[in-house]
Amino acid sequence: MAQILADRRDVDFVLHEQLNVETLAEHERFAEFNRKAIDLIISEARTLAVKEILPTQVDGDRIGARFDNGAVTVPESFHKAWSALTEGEWVALTEDPEWGGQGMPRSVASAASEFLLAANFAFVMYAGLTHGAGTLIETFGTEEQKKRFLKKLYSGEWTGTMLLTEPEAGSDLGALQATATPNEDGTYSIVGTKIFSSGGDHDLTDNIIHPVLARIDGAPAGTRGISLFIVPKIWVNEDGSLGEPNDVVCTGLEEKMGIHGNSTATIALGTRGECRGLLLGEANKGMRSMFLMMNDARLMVGDQALACASASYLYALDYARKRIQGRDLLQIMDKEAPSVPIIRHPDVRRMLMIMKVYVESLRSLSLYTSYCSDGIATADDPDEKARLQGIVDFLIPIAKAYTTERGLEVCDLGIQVFGGYGYIKEYPVEQLLRDCRITPIYEGTNGIQAMDLLFRKLGQNGGRPILDLAEEIRATIDSAAAVDRTAEMADAMERALIRLEEVGRNLGLTAMLKIQVAAGYAHPFLDVCGDVMVGWMLLWRARVAAEALEAGAKPKDRAFYEGQLGSAEFFTTNMLPLALAKMDVILSGSSVVVDIPEEAFAGR
Amino acid sequence: MEILVCVKRVPDPAENEISIGPDGGDIERDDLVYSVNEWDNYAVEEAVRIAERTGGNVTIVSVDDDEGEEVVRRQMAMGASQGLLLTDEAFEGSDGLGTATILAAAAKNGTYDLILTGAQADDGAAQVGGMLAALLDWPYASVVNLVETNSDGPLRIGREIDGGSQEINEIETPCVLSIQTGINEPRYVGVRGIRKVASIELPVMDAEALGISAETVGTAGAKVRRVDYFVPEQRAAAEMIEGSTEEIADRIVDLLRAQGGIR
Repeated sequence: MAQILADRRDVDFVLHEQLNVETLAEHERFAEFNRKAIDLIISEARTLAVKEILPTQVDGDRIGARFDNGAVTVPESFHKAWSALTEGEWVALTEDPEWGGQGMPRSVASAASEFLLAANFAFVMYAGLTHGAGTLIETFGTEEQKKRFLKKLYSGEWTGTMLLTEPEAGSDLGALQATATPNEDGTYSIVGTKIFSSGGDHDLTDNIIHPVLARIDGAPAGTRGISLFIVPKIWVNEDGSLGEPNDVVCTGLEEKMGIHGNSTATIALGTRGECRGLLLGEANKGMRSMFLMMNDARLMVGDQALACASASYLYALDYARKRIQGRDLLQIMDKEAPSVPIIRHPDVRRMLMIMKVYVESLRSLSLYTSYCSDGIATADDPDEKARLQGIVDFLIPIAKAYTTERGLEVCDLGIQVFGGYGYIKEYPVEQLLRDCRITPIYEGTNGIQAMDLLFRKLGQNGGRPILDLAEEIRATIDSAAAVDRTAEMADAMERALIRLEEVGRNLGLTAMLKIQVAAGYAHPFLDVCGDVMVGWMLLWRARVAAEALEAGAKPKDRAFYEGQLGSAEFFTTNMLPLALAKMDVILSGSSVVVDIPEEAFAGR
Repeated sequence: MEILVCVKRVPDPAENEISIGPDGGDIERDDLVYSVNEWDNYAVEEAVRIAERTGGNVTIVSVDDDEGEEVVRRQMAMGASQGLLLTDEAFEGSDGLGTATILAAAAKNGTYDLILTGAQADDGAAQVGGMLAALLDWPYASVVNLVETNSDGPLRIGREIDGGSQEINEIETPCVLSIQTGINEPRYVGVRGIRKVASIELPVMDAEALGISAETVGTAGAKVRRVDYFVPEQRAAAEMIEGSTEEIADRIVDLLRAQGGIR
């Protein structure tokens, strides 16, 4: 079966055999999304991705978004793909149907999106950002604002962005300087310059709605004085019709390493003093609002990296099956022996195994996190909602940072499997690596994610979320321990979990006594948390597969299920011991990172 | 206008590497990805467009086992309001006439003005549409690449004929048209369409419900049987003849003589 972008069998396995997402349809909110609907959604997302979006991938990279004479254009092929994407209403999958969204469970939307993202995530970002901007208005906007903006955003008639970063305010948004001055008509005059604005300007749609962070005159310093505004590129009248251009000017695009198809714009607001914005939500509460979108966006960035990794893996796997090169090692002395596909060579198999293990486990981790979000939406019990929210909050930095780094590693291996051909543009794997490289950086660098995990999430609610998560993991371990073929792996996971709990407690103490030393281990801590999470997912998958095999799986499914047991075994024997070693490193608590004098890094 | 569109679930050539099964009577069907027959997709799109212009309903019908449901629903999601799955163990192994017999029985159960089929399906026989029309005693046009509707009068239809030419005909309704690819650009199925059809009750009719005698359809009633399935032997590559016109002509004559083409 010629699988590209994402393995349909594996996506179905996670949705239906690991998570049983169709049970969400038992709740009124998701009643429309029965098994039949989910299968059709995944099939059609895949069709759209392969037939309409994938053909834009190379254009996006080679032509890219261009800035000329003050106007930004995207490749011609993007317009047709945008029509297909918006006509099928793929922009607002999870949003409220009352405002034009599709009301889909996040887990299903995320699975469908993997195909779209794998086909060209720089293109799909225009829709992703629109979803984010719309969600902000849906959550914090007034009824009037929702009527004015939402349907056109959710239909993709307009797109959205998020204008946060300024030259002196990147990771530290509290330093931002854009200002908002109240006008008599209730609007605000916005002045400032925003950089690194993804999808900041383009010719895909007639209008672009920018949520903008700015400081109202006289507001407190730091993040507590930041407010959020809706700033349309073209002013939107109260009746929804378009007014005059709103003094929102793109002054240039960044020349980037990858995702060339997405315009990364510098946007000057109010250079003529005529940029108007509408306050979105309460004054000075902009950061809180923006974090809602950022949490969502962080999961999406993880999904972008997963999608790149998945595509790279399947390209590499296909290549390894077809590329004939070198004799089988068992016939290496026989000069007459035929050359074999490179998938027969153990080192190539080793690389493919690493790729397989990460793609599968990260897919499970992503969909599990989304599935917990669906659980929050459907749970009636407030305690259960809080429990799931804690788990989601804890997993977000991992699903962002760990997934993007491992996704990048998979893309790197994808090139290695191709050898020299992987390094040239004739094959898609080099673009996937370049595109993927942004993901550990934006939406909060992975360093920021690690700090968030260690200093905020670990101790949140007295450490309740990690205890709840450990309980979930132990439930999987217990069930896997009762199945012959996964019992040994379950034992190894139990040891790793106990060790991780020890590391968490130890680092928590260090954070109180020697905060800098702890901060130096924040990233390694996130890394081993991620290792345990993917180990958990692999064990869960292996247990489901072992049970399916025991129950007498269909012949066509047997190889797939054996593959699940293989992934879990490979991780347990080849990768989990390394995670334990990394935990030892953290427990060593070396302070050298902090102690070494700045001058000692190298001469000036 | 009430329109019935007949669709078939077939192995998707873009998704599968097709190989012949061990007994040589069929392709290897384990682990195949199926989708709707490409020609039928154009037929559904055309039906939906006609219904959008003239009003009325589109019904999707398929002769298949339970697995056919996804394809029927998928095609309904393009804009059809109803679907119908014709399934019975007795239908398995039907030849073209058998399939047409089953579809004709379903058509007689409704009040359709127009029936569309794809021009052909995976077996390439292009026979079901014509046979269906004959069984219903309705007029029929094949390889249709244009359908224009009038408020009262006959349909004005275009047919693809040899050499890429087109002929225009008028045809009275009710009628059967087999639709050629390229007649339109089929829409993608959107999320809203899927949400609409996912929970619709899909009626299923068996031989008894259709009033069909089991002996007339399926393997029992089939008068055409496939006896062999094979990949043609690879022939030697073509020889490109070079030289002046005279030299080329001489070489062709030599070759034809040598191969027995002329004496």
